[in-house]
Amino acid sequence: MKKSLSALLAAAMTMSLLTGCVTIEPAETTASETPSTEAQADASSAEETEKAADTAENEGQDTASYTIGIGQFAEHGSLDNCREGFLAGLAEEGIEEGKNLTVYFENAQADGGTASQIMTNFAAKNVDLICAIATPMAQSAYSVGQKNDIPVIYTAVTDPIAAELADADGAPVGEISGTSDKLPVEQQLQMIRAILPDAETIGIMYTTSEVNSESAIAEYKAAAPDYGFTIVESGVSSSADIPLAADTLLSQVDCVTNLTDNTVVASLPVILDKAAKLNIPVFGSEIEQVRIGCLASMGLDYIDLGKQTGRMAAKVLKGEAKASEMNFEIIEEAAFYGNTKVAENLGITFPDDLTANAKEIFTEIAQ
Amino acid sequence: MLELSHIDKYYNAGTVNEMCLFQDFNLTIPDHQFVSVVGSNGSGKTSMLNLICGSIPLDSGHIRMNGKDITRLPEHKRLRSIGRVYQNPAMGTCPQMTILENMSLADNKGRAFNLRPGTNRQRIDTYRESLKTLGLGLEDKLDVKVGVLSGGQRQAMALLMSTMTPIEFLILDEHTAALDPKTAETIMILTDKIVKEKNLTTIMVTHNLRYAVEYGNRLIMMHQGNAVIDRADEEKQKIKIDEILAKFNEISIECGN
Amino acid sequence: MLTTIIGVLEEGLVYAIMALGVYITYKILDFPDLSVDSTFPMGAAVTAVSIIAGVPPVFTLPLTFLAGAVAGCITGLIHVKLKVRDLLSGIIVMTALYSINLRIAGKANLPIFSQETIFDNAFLEGIIPPSLAPYTVLIILFIIVLVCKILLDLYLKTRSGYLLRAAGDNEVLVTSLAKDKGTVKILGLAIANGFAALAGCIYCQQKGFFEISMGTGTIVIGLANVIIGTQLFRRISFVKATTAVIIGSILYKACVSIALSLGGAIHIGRVTISIPITASDLKLATSVLFLIILVLGGRQGKKVKNHA
Repeated sequence: MKKSLSALLAAAMTMSLLTGCVTIEPAETTASETPSTEAQADASSAEETEKAADTAENEGQDTASYTIGIGQFAEHGSLDNCREGFLAGLAEEGIEEGKNLTVYFENAQADGGTASQIMTNFAAKNVDLICAIATPMAQSAYSVGQKNDIPVIYTAVTDPIAAELADADGAPVGEISGTSDKLPVEQQLQMIRAILPDAETIGIMYTTSEVNSESAIAEYKAAAPDYGFTIVESGVSSSADIPLAADTLLSQVDCVTNLTDNTVVASLPVILDKAAKLNIPVFGSEIEQVRIGCLASMGLDYIDLGKQTGRMAAKVLKGEAKASEMNFEIIEEAAFYGNTKVAENLGITFPDDLTANAKEIFTEIAQ
Repeated sequence: MLELSHIDKYYNAGTVNEMCLFQDFNLTIPDHQFVSVVGSNGSGKTSMLNLICGSIPLDSGHIRMNGKDITRLPEHKRLRSIGRVYQNPAMGTCPQMTILENMSLADNKGRAFNLRPGTNRQRIDTYRESLKTLGLGLEDKLDVKVGVLSGGQRQAMALLMSTMTPIEFLILDEHTAALDPKTAETIMILTDKIVKEKNLTTIMVTHNLRYAVEYGNRLIMMHQGNAVIDRADEEKQKIKIDEILAKFNEISIECGN
Repeated sequence: MLTTIIGVLEEGLVYAIMALGVYITYKILDFPDLSVDSTFPMGAAVTAVSIIAGVPPVFTLPLTFLAGAVAGCITGLIHVKLKVRDLLSGIIVMTALYSINLRIAGKANLPIFSQETIFDNAFLEGIIPPSLAPYTVLIILFIIVLVCKILLDLYLKTRSGYLLRAAGDNEVLVTSLAKDKGTVKILGLAIANGFAALAGCIYCQQKGFFEISMGTGTIVIGLANVIIGTQLFRRISFVKATTAVIIGSILYKACVSIALSLGGAIHIGRVTISIPITASDLKLATSVLFLIILVLGGRQGKKVKNHA
């Protein structure tokens, strides 16, 4: 028994060594990862268990240092941008990784079980704040955070009310708040009408397992008649279904628009390729999609969204506001992104009023 | 009474490998008869047992048990009145369960397997008694897992278990073949005792010609799906090993062995 | 540290219930049943929907067990009656249930944060003293797991339980006992998937939401739990297999937790050891751990091969 137990522990150790690698280096070179001076290190460990809010009153960032856990639900361009923006937003408020901020980052790789395990681990590490990226992560974080008195700031949650992270008025249900990446549906439809005056049907592909996509579809369906469009939806259950579904959908529609559906976005090149052959424009939902070949998008800038989230987190860390006192925020103004190379291929010219206010225009299709 | 009438059985029917096993095979076994069946490999001995038990389907013909047609009855329903012991000693017992649990299982045959306690405490002494008759000391090892017993011990248990509840027929499928000569002898004596005690109608397939001659009151030699020797009662008493052996050799030469 | 231990125990106990089911299929019946990957989230879906519809949280426990049992029966029927191979019948049901789970829940993510659950309700608040509040979940989980374990232990000692064990040990004997081995298998699968769904129900109430992706890899966790438990305690006869499975579940979660916390840097004096293991590597780490246990544990007990 003793033998097998020790073997098991040895196995656990070996496993970690196998998957990673051990580097031994002098402490000086890793100073950037850890609080820069001995004094600060001591201070941080002494204050570790206390709420950062208590120490923040005397002009926080010089003396206080923070530990946060960032849990991201899946590996995905937009979500990566959120994280980048979040750290940038914190930095704007004087909370910088390596200076007065220790960051634990974990990615659940779209696995619900792992998501909750990550949160439990953050709680065990006694972080001052949890940043949760995407809906399932935010829900896991909420149940763990609530129990351990750790405030949660989320981002890229499309509908915090439906996810029960906020009540019907948008007020937080506990020490949890953040930003929503709700699509600017109306503005997107307006843009499509401006670019394609004659189009009648818009195709949308989505994954049946993604709750955000379903609510977005519902919104599109409700708004489309106002702009003279009919929505044709096509649900898939995995990326394997996408090629066939794309063929069917493309044969029925004048153009296609994307949601922030993770599965569909991941398979976007397949759809773009098929659409290009049929000369059917595909609209994106954010900047990355336009970069890789969508015609245009009235979209969110996830970096901006992340920054906005980061600033909210900074307030909570410094004790200027409590998460429970802040309603979740959305980005009010969507920006125009266009790809002139794609437009040229399709024989389309963007209306001047769109290009004039464009946030970014791509002239190449990135691979 | 067990009747097999006009049995046809082909293997791989409709392919180039088609092999006829039985063609219009008939056999009637009256109650309380102990039949020994011998024959070379592939002569249809075990297939006959499988047909009777319903382990394999037949192509045409009828099997009647006490006048009732059981041709279409599934295997597990037929086995309600049949006890069967296999060549492999492991097949008649559960290796991961204890001797007591195995005995309890067997004791429950024919009753509902419901949520009542698996082992009836009041029956333990009875189990002990019947294990004692084996003379293997198993009665003191009730909590030992059957998996650790030897092949002979397991086969003895299998025999005991298959005849524990009231049954009419006992099917013995080369049940001594996997045992050493000494153990085989013990099991054979035990078999004879149980068959006589319970007055069972028995079919025993064996490769041991001596057992075939010594035990039972009918002897059948199978060859290519037919009974080439079939002697019962007084005729069977007169039979000598040499005669069987001679016939066996004759058949073998015929087959080119 | 205490938070970690409580977290590990909680996670381990929830999955222990599912592992008891996997113990029945994998260890007792020798049936690699993949349908638990979908019956686990099915339990969660049924729970979320029922609780929102106003069903008292306690009633969701038997309800989900029943729902899981039905799903298990279907796997069994496909295998026994339609003669589809065991692995494939599990895959068929697993795939079909994915859509059915979405149908049950209506959408891919259904939160019940605002609802009462077995862990969080007015009754509990009344009886649990504040000093015990952090352990409420743990205490309730412990009671549920204990009840499940005792019921399963008792069941395995009934006539029906004996037959179930016999079916995994030696199918031929079940036939010899004039019982249909197919029926016994279906029964076993029903119980096993009932446990998996029950675990999903409890998981959902603990975490506060149903999410379609939550079942991914359930079977791997279940198998790991069963194998860790039974291998560690196989020489200790007084520890029941069910107990071993529960301890195995907790140990497994402990290993996962250790693997996760190892990520980052360890400082020993002036030397820093950085171990770049993150949650992304978790599946690989799990597989390696799993393999090591299998290899160290040696071969499984021999089963009787059916050649009648």
